[in-house]
Amino acid sequence: MLTRPQFDIACRALVGKYAYTAPSPATTPLKGWSWHEHASINGLGYLSRRTIHTRFSCFGTDDEELYREEYEEQQDESTATAVPDATLVCQQYIVYSATYQVPAFYFTMHDCNGSPLALADIVNTSLFRPSAFDSAELTTFALNIPDRMFPLLSQGDHPTLGTPSWYLHPCESAGAVDELMRELGEAEWTTEEGLVRWIEMWIMVVSTVVELCE
Amino acid sequence: MPLALVQFTPFPSLSHPSFWHKLTQLKLDVLKLSDAQVDITGSYGVGRLIRDREAGAWISVNANLAVEEESFTDTKIPTRSVAARGTLKNYNTIEEFKAADKTMLFNECADKIWESIVTNKDTSLLNSFLIITYADLKKYKYYYWFAFPAFVASPSWHITERGWVPAIQAGFSEAQMSSIYEQLLGNQPLQAFFVVLTPSDASTEVTVSAIDAYVPGATVGFIDPSAQLQNPGWPLRNLLAYLRYSYPDSMSSLDVLSWRDTEIPREGWKSRVGSLVVGDGSLSKAAVVPNARPNAVGWEKNVQGKLGPRVADLAPMMDPTRLANQAVDLNLKLMRWRIVPSLDLDKIAATRCLLLGAGTLGCYVARCLMGWGVRTITLVDSARVSFSNPVRQPLFQFSDCLNGGRPKAECAAERLREVWPGLNASGYTLSIPMPGHPIPVSPSLCEQVQQDVEKLEKLIEEHDVVYLLMDSRESRWLPTVIARSKDKLVMNAALGFDTFLVMRHGARHTLDDNSRLGCYYCNDIVAPADSLTDRTLDQMCTVTRPGLASIAASTAVELMVSVLQHPRSIHASASSSSSSNYADIIDVEKTSVLGLVPHQLRGYLAQFRNLHIVGAAYDKCTGCSEIVINAYETEGFSMLLNAFNDSKYLERLTGLDNLFAEGEKALRDVEWIEEEEDNDF
Ligand SMILES: [Zn+2]
Repeated sequence: MLTRPQFDIACRALVGKYAYTAPSPATTPLKGWSWHEHASINGLGYLSRRTIHTRFSCFGTDDEELYREEYEEQQDESTATAVPDATLVCQQYIVYSATYQVPAFYFTMHDCNGSPLALADIVNTSLFRPSAFDSAELTTFALNIPDRMFPLLSQGDHPTLGTPSWYLHPCESAGAVDELMRELGEAEWTTEEGLVRWIEMWIMVVSTVVELCE
Repeated sequence: MPLALVQFTPFPSLSHPSFWHKLTQLKLDVLKLSDAQVDITGSYGVGRLIRDREAGAWISVNANLAVEEESFTDTKIPTRSVAARGTLKNYNTIEEFKAADKTMLFNECADKIWESIVTNKDTSLLNSFLIITYADLKKYKYYYWFAFPAFVASPSWHITERGWVPAIQAGFSEAQMSSIYEQLLGNQPLQAFFVVLTPSDASTEVTVSAIDAYVPGATVGFIDPSAQLQNPGWPLRNLLAYLRYSYPDSMSSLDVLSWRDTEIPREGWKSRVGSLVVGDGSLSKAAVVPNARPNAVGWEKNVQGKLGPRVADLAPMMDPTRLANQAVDLNLKLMRWRIVPSLDLDKIAATRCLLLGAGTLGCYVARCLMGWGVRTITLVDSARVSFSNPVRQPLFQFSDCLNGGRPKAECAAERLREVWPGLNASGYTLSIPMPGHPIPVSPSLCEQVQQDVEKLEKLIEEHDVVYLLMDSRESRWLPTVIARSKDKLVMNAALGFDTFLVMRHGARHTLDDNSRLGCYYCNDIVAPADSLTDRTLDQMCTVTRPGLASIAASTAVELMVSVLQHPRSIHASASSSSSSNYADIIDVEKTSVLGLVPHQLRGYLAQFRNLHIVGAAYDKCTGCSEIVINAYETEGFSMLLNAFNDSKYLERLTGLDNLFAEGEKALRDVEWIEEEEDNDF
């Protein structure tokens, strides 16, 4: 468990700590975050960053009448053949869950048009570790793991921005972090150093499901 | 060996959703119907290689030219990126968008770039772009098309046999690379184009300068969005056009540094170097130097690989109706996952509910049904909203009472759709004829009544559950008969001052005849003509405790849901809740996944207590007995007319009149079969 002020301290410290660290598989989950406050209300800050992913499978394309019209441009041999753009952008957030008093991982994902991805498509991207959802049951708005109280992944509004997002259910991550912290013997984790350590651990726990390395 | 043609990687565009949100805002607040050009700023970084964790192979990911919310407002460029100036032209209709003179727009943009080369000797516009858009704000769809004008070199640029090689292999030292990195990354946003100068031959120092510091023999560099090993990115084309125009004498060959490192690398610098040559070697050194603007290409291809517009569909993110639908489902499904895994929500959602009465009970029942995700709710009422209604009837407000009041049923349906646009809600103003209330002798009135009856029959036919929520007792009779005939589930709620009755009418075709459950009228010893001798809970006087209606309404809906979840549905036998009948609770026959399925509930607010009652069907009942139903089914409207016009007709038909003659006292015994009293279960 983490209090709101502890969350704020931990997040701001994390941003500073990894601003100039060289990227590596160990540091990329912790890099690139920036701290944002709500436009008018204090105490609703969150971390955010943007990562690029690729799609594993080709999604369907619109059957727009518009596509049937073709424009002619001068033939140009110096133009390389365009590779289909499989770029997907993931906007990631670490927010504070007032209910569970732990951080929660929220994200949205869109393709190069800006169109949001459906859940069935999201789980087929490089955002998730391929084995993450082996036993999961997929609906249009949530992903359930049998025998779990809560869906692993579901849709909800971003607690600060109010925009529709996906989120990983936070209630299990905190327990895992506390366990790890105990193993590490971090007695004084209420200090700033200890709090950064806590949030680092939490990110590592999340990264067992989500690919935070890009 | 012939030189290879240099082929440039086209710029892929990337529009973040925030770009479309901002365009929407701009269109609504500023542009309105104007299609004036708007200046925007895009950005791009370097192409990257991403290691595929599964296969271990490198995947090259070209950097996109990205636009987002900030593209409209200021020049806040993401870190480690280059700024690119752009022009946006938004069209008001899809037709205008399609008919736009693309050639002209493209040439205007290319002309500006060329002018910046010729007149300003400036590189800041070399990576300019154009975007045309059409925003379908109703459907949250955005049609758009990017163009990145690039001059076609003639003769074309070729590359020496070595091709593009890592900068380290081309003679740059680690120290020089680090120095270039620091000088480039030290300035944000990044310079798109630069020159790398080595002050003296003896020195290993390098200086990164703006392009106008170019001296023959220097290496020119650019931030390269391409990740393809042998293809430089699009921005190089206009840089080469600039150099060829500005330094015509020294452009027969040129070393180019394609910069691809915006992080200090762990596995070697990714930036590459190529030695370019004008033409394929078959031309003389004094190649043609263009004075006129070269041709340009650069419309982006769409997902089909054709030159044509793209579409961004943001409805799943922005359409409030779709969002509301998702959210309603989500709340319910959460309940299902957490508490009752076997709940059949689809069955509930698909249940079409007809609410007869759009007063206090009707309003609360509708709200509660909506909470269960019921998709079809139809309301029937003959009244208009009056000034006393809004405070107790939560779907109405003061303004609905003005000018004589809006029709209640239609008004309530409209309000329901406001609460949840995904709901299929409708309202009908209809009077329900009542037994013992004669139809005035007038052909036109009689015709009107017949039409009303037909309408009611049709509505009941089209729904699965009929709620009787009227404020008079007799008006429940006709729908009771029709619904019984069609074997629909009837839910009945009636209010006293501080007591209520909620019940489900028994099914007509029940497998076990002995356990047939009664209807609202089964306990009556008189036909429902006479509402002054009100023996159940009816409302000649509609003064009730204000909290009662919502309790009764919610109870009725929850009872319906429990019945629907029972494996035998409307044929489920009634359960009681008494502690001595604990067996019922674990008796699968008498419970649904949600628990008990009682027949009738009588609520006593004064005692905060509910009583479960099982009332058997009465074979002389004026509402549900086969005598009545058969008469209705064979004679139709004329039988109903008899019932309306002749207050004794139903009693004669069922034989109740004879019974009545035998003495009221004896009949009192045909009472509720009450279960044990204590049931604060
Ligand atoms: Zn009956």
